[in-house]
Amino acid sequence: MMKIALANLLTHHKQLVLNVEDELHFHIEMLERKYAEQGMSTADAKAAALRRFGNLEKVRKQCVHISRRNSLLRRVLKTSTILIALTGLAIHTLNSNYKIARMGSVLIMIAVAGRLLLYVRGLSPSTFLHRTNSLLVVTDPPDDGSQLTNA
Amino acid sequence: MANERTDLMQGTLELLILNTLARESMHGYGIVQRIHAAAEDLLKVEDGSLYPALYRMEERGLIKSEWGVSENNRRAKFYKLTKSGQKKLEAERANWNRISKAVTKILRAT
Repeated sequence: MMKIALANLLTHHKQLVLNVEDELHFHIEMLERKYAEQGMSTADAKAAALRRFGNLEKVRKQCVHISRRNSLLRRVLKTSTILIALTGLAIHTLNSNYKIARMGSVLIMIAVAGRLLLYVRGLSPSTFLHRTNSLLVVTDPPDDGSQLTNA
Repeated sequence: MANERTDLMQGTLELLILNTLARESMHGYGIVQRIHAAAEDLLKVEDGSLYPALYRMEERGLIKSEWGVSENNRRAKFYKLTKSGQKKLEAERANWNRISKAVTKILRAT
């Protein structure tokens, strides 16, 4: 049972990585095609596309990390911790029997620990780098003097 | 100021992405091309850096993605706006207009 779960997890992760790579390579291929249509040689178009795309490995890692954080399995685990906590709370408050009420407390603690673990495992530098504005570059306006205005 | 990074307001790229996806679903390459074309190349998005932003927006439920087939018959991931993304776009547009009006007034007055 555990082996099957582990195998599923590994397959899921592999698929996730493949999907990210496929998406990023599609973008690079489209850039290559654009440059080739502009008259560049295949090698030059490839080099220009990679330059234009930026740090492929860094982007890949960031996307895989965010995808993992957002995966179905992770969402199921998060929901499970909430359900366990609610069950624990119900057992704790509705039972006058000390031993059963104590079981409720244990469930709550398990849920909190699980949630904390999920949170800590989800942390990475990209969690804190939400400066999307830094990805924009302003270039020189064309010679005719026309500029972006907020009119 | 050629190719100079500038400190644009927080969330500007997000607003541009939401606005681009408001018309139709698009893949990442299409989004970048549309932004460049609309800005007449005055404002450029670093191509690779678009993706972490897209993934974060999907994580927050502003957009959703599905695999489809591109114009050149290649498997590609298409993004589209969710209801929550639509609301966010309207709020961000209003916010942007308010701020730009205020800044323009100040610049004209001084």
